[in-house]
Amino acid sequence: MTDYRDIIRQGLWQNNPGLVQLLGLCPLLATSSTMTNALGLGFATMLVLLSTNLVVSLIRSQVPNEIRIPIFVMVIAAVVTAIEQLMQAYTYQLYQSLGIFIPLIVTNCIVIGRAEAFASKNPLLPSAVDGLMMGLGFTAVLLLLGTCREILGQGTLFDGAEALFGPWATVLRVELFKTDSHFLLAILPPGAFMVLGFLIAAKNAIDLRQKNRQVQPATITRARVTHVATSETSSQ
Amino acid sequence: MLKYISKNALLLATAAAACVLLVASVNQLTAPKIAEQIELEKLKLLQEVLPAGAASAELLQDCLVLQQPTVLFQNDAKTYRWRQNGELRAYVIETTAPDGYSGNIQLLAAITPDGTVLGVRTLSHKETPGLGDKIEMRKSSWMDSFRQKKLQSADDRRFAVKKDGGQFDQFTGATITPRAVVAAVKRTALYLKQHPELADLPANCQLQ
Amino acid sequence: MSFRIASSPHHHSQQHTSVLMRSVVLACLPGIACQVYFFGYGVLIQLLLAIVTAWASEAFILRLREKPVLPRLKDHSAMLTAVLLAVSIPAFAPWWLIVFGTAFAIIIVKQLYGGLGHNLFNPAMAAYVFLLVSFPQQMTSWLPPLSLQAQPQQWLDPVCAVFTDFSCAGYSLTQLKTDIDGMTMATPLDTVKTDLAGGKTLTESMQQQVFEQFGGVGWNYVNLAFLLGGLWLLQQKVIQWRIPFAVLGSLALCSFIGYLIDPDLHASPVFHLLSGGTMLAAFFIATDPVSASTTLRGRLYYGALIGLLIYLIRSFGGFPDAVAFAVMLANLTVPLIDYYTRPRTYGHKPKGSY
Repeated sequence: MTDYRDIIRQGLWQNNPGLVQLLGLCPLLATSSTMTNALGLGFATMLVLLSTNLVVSLIRSQVPNEIRIPIFVMVIAAVVTAIEQLMQAYTYQLYQSLGIFIPLIVTNCIVIGRAEAFASKNPLLPSAVDGLMMGLGFTAVLLLLGTCREILGQGTLFDGAEALFGPWATVLRVELFKTDSHFLLAILPPGAFMVLGFLIAAKNAIDLRQKNRQVQPATITRARVTHVATSETSSQ
Repeated sequence: MLKYISKNALLLATAAAACVLLVASVNQLTAPKIAEQIELEKLKLLQEVLPAGAASAELLQDCLVLQQPTVLFQNDAKTYRWRQNGELRAYVIETTAPDGYSGNIQLLAAITPDGTVLGVRTLSHKETPGLGDKIEMRKSSWMDSFRQKKLQSADDRRFAVKKDGGQFDQFTGATITPRAVVAAVKRTALYLKQHPELADLPANCQLQ
Repeated sequence: MSFRIASSPHHHSQQHTSVLMRSVVLACLPGIACQVYFFGYGVLIQLLLAIVTAWASEAFILRLREKPVLPRLKDHSAMLTAVLLAVSIPAFAPWWLIVFGTAFAIIIVKQLYGGLGHNLFNPAMAAYVFLLVSFPQQMTSWLPPLSLQAQPQQWLDPVCAVFTDFSCAGYSLTQLKTDIDGMTMATPLDTVKTDLAGGKTLTESMQQQVFEQFGGVGWNYVNLAFLLGGLWLLQQKVIQWRIPFAVLGSLALCSFIGYLIDPDLHASPVFHLLSGGTMLAAFFIATDPVSASTTLRGRLYYGALIGLLIYLIRSFGGFPDAVAFAVMLANLTVPLIDYYTRPRTYGHKPKGSY
């Protein structure tokens, strides 16, 4: 019996692609300057993860071990290209503002990582849930990062949302405050690194606090932290 | 052994064929829509610099490729000709300011044959964020100061930034960028003014 | 203390961190006095704001990290960071700029990397870059020297400008920057860059009134005053000659080569040495013991790299002055420089002699 709750927790928190695995940093940092861009790339990545996990899980018993990687890569490339064309056809403005980062989803390590580590070893349904949750975790981090940067940088929320959702979405735009001088750093890439750093720090702090709380009832005087979520994996 | 290899090869080929099939069918499905989107986007851009309702499909057809690297500072500068009732009203021309603070600034300008500017937009630039990027309409409406400005002659002193005695504002903290843009628009307007024969050349753009 | 010593054998230095830091702050005084003389006392307000912010943020973060507060405040390193940042930003910049920058320098660049002795970057320069990239307009709004301003500066004007963005009589900074002929004046480095881009030659550019025989009005004496302070630091053995020598030497060499090629397009070495923050960088910033190279040979390379970068970024970069970018980039190369210039350990054979 597969533990779906565990898969969900892994994807959203414990093994979050953006905060713990630190995979796909390049698009994560480059496209999170506004909430709209963040959501757009997040959805696209989630869709890719879901589809590739499904396909890979479906063909896992037919694919011999030796040629699994080239086949996975082909599947991923085909899915990404298809999604890219669909976005170009139906969300052209968003496609333009995300630019190169849509085709770059091919090189995002989470996609091949999940295909290899999870979908190739698990049945259809758990793989789909895993793809969805990993994608959701990635999107959540992207959105959080995008929100922070958009508020800091231009004092708005959902600026340019019509590129993603259509003309009605202009009502989503909220102007929190108006400044003459924008805080440019938040919109530029270095700001993305800093905000992401603070997000990771916050996650580690929350984990640490929870760990300490769990240890306390057992009257142990010395709290030993063995699992502070860190990761040596780097992205492309 | 050989059987094993050929089985794998066959599998790979099947997978590749399936992937190609997927991509090809999505491409077939979306190609007309994508072409339409690209056209719409182009029209939207042209509409930005022209009076309301001026941009149409005919405008996109009536297009000239200019090779004037010494005036427009770019090759293959597309020039669309806006006509009303067969009479030429304005050119919408791609031009480049080569002397921005950090490299080329690509512009799209709508200019009448007598040298009146209808509108200018920045297509791409690398100016310093916060200083020179006020040439983007998202950041500032400075580009609108070109509207209805007429270039009288080659030595029209008013077609310059205020710092040089002209009528265009410079930005706080940045003079080079507006100066470059104003100079490029002036150069382009002068070129169009001096070459009335451009109106009657046959359209020669490669349609995608 | 965290004062880093290059390698064994360990001579015991009688100088403690706090004494060193205090000497460096003292050596800034001639430069500051000169700035007050030429640009008005706005710089003093910036200094005050910076120092108060630095102390407050240092105390705040040390308490957060559960470290002793007072001993760290007494080492004067926070004050030095504050001083270096305050003299680098425009005297009439709005108050929140320096507060923001100093807090960033102390909290993020210094303490989040582990505190004094562990920071990878020079806090003042990292904060300067942070401010310049974030608020380029405010960070480049230098007023011309007092003697060239069309509106005579009133006694309270610096206070009004820093806290309200307008002079007491209600003039905006842009208006204050305007000279009698209605021209906006920029710093000498900025003027040169703008004019060269506009197709003028240097000789034409230098005719403008922000220049005099050598360098820009005011800026040349400010730089000379920092040079004086720096020489005093050398004489007091607070800093060593290698880094300043290498910075100035390489900047002079690069600009001399440019000048030889075409004096109409490349400013003279004297202009480069006496413009912007050159002297401040060479003697006070590049010599920061924490973020500079620690080996003797390494310091020469490190300084030369800074000089080269200053020249390259000034000539080809997107911002007029380049000191902060140059120092930060050079900071990044320090681990590599140190690795390749490690002195031979006593008793070991030199490399390659096996």
